[in-house]
Amino acid sequence: MFARNLFSAIMATTIFSLISALIFLLLDGIDVSLTEAAVGAGISTILFLSTLKHTDVEIKKSSIPSFPLIVLFFLLLGLLSFSVSDLPEFGKFNQTSNSQVTEYYINNSKSEMGIPNVVTSILAGYRGFDTLGEVVVIFIAGVSVLGILRKKKSNP
Amino acid sequence: MKHHIILRIVTKLLIPLILLFGLYVQFHGDFSAGGGFQAGVIFAAGFILYNIVFGLDVGRSILSSNTAKSLMAIGVILYIVVGFLGILLGGNFLEYNDLSSTPIRGQLLGVFLVELGVGLTVSNVMVLVFYSFNDISVEKQ
Repeated sequence: MFARNLFSAIMATTIFSLISALIFLLLDGIDVSLTEAAVGAGISTILFLSTLKHTDVEIKKSSIPSFPLIVLFFLLLGLLSFSVSDLPEFGKFNQTSNSQVTEYYINNSKSEMGIPNVVTSILAGYRGFDTLGEVVVIFIAGVSVLGILRKKKSNP
Repeated sequence: MKHHIILRIVTKLLIPLILLFGLYVQFHGDFSAGGGFQAGVIFAAGFILYNIVFGLDVGRSILSSNTAKSLMAIGVILYIVVGFLGILLGGNFLEYNDLSSTPIRGQLLGVFLVELGVGLTVSNVMVLVFYSFNDISVEKQ
């Protein structure tokens, strides 16, 4: 994003988030879409904006010459486009990542857990330990923000 | 924000719906899209919207910084306690089968409690981060 004004950069990020939420929705990933819309377009925009209150809106013109950066950009773009050809076909039914454990979850989630939403049964049931780690990470992130931004009580 | 009358009235209309949707995503997450994480963020977003429009003091009188800190920890503790209950009742860590009379009901109860813990932690972390960002600006003025 080549926006020199930080406010418009934040708005562009938000719109991009919203569009990717729509893409997830079209791919039937409703849970992911909900998360992207709430976190990417909602909370992170608010946090970016409250950070912007403490900084300047305009970026100073950078002293780095732009030509090497453009070359680097196209090199990386070429590398990524080259590696896309190695990815499996979109929506391919019997690829390796879809063949083993996914089938088990889809077939047995209802009878073992009694929960129709397979995503929830994986997140909270089959992969409960991972979710515990996730929650602890969020907790630690919150504690760290509190520690960094805490009010100084004894300020002479 | 005393002059933005349209903003205030629209916010007043929207906030109950946002909070209700947050609760729906939390407690109906087993049966439809969503879960604790999404619900926590939606709930926090509604609360932060209220804070932005009606002022931080009004928001803090509902949920003080200290209450949010305790609730954030209670969410994680609830999750871990459910995990160890599985061990105490004769299963593995985070095994919900023995929590209730039948395995299916145990699973439902376990998932419900765990999602509740996730929701509590996420929503309160978001609200606390918002509070602490705003504390800096209050100090600066």
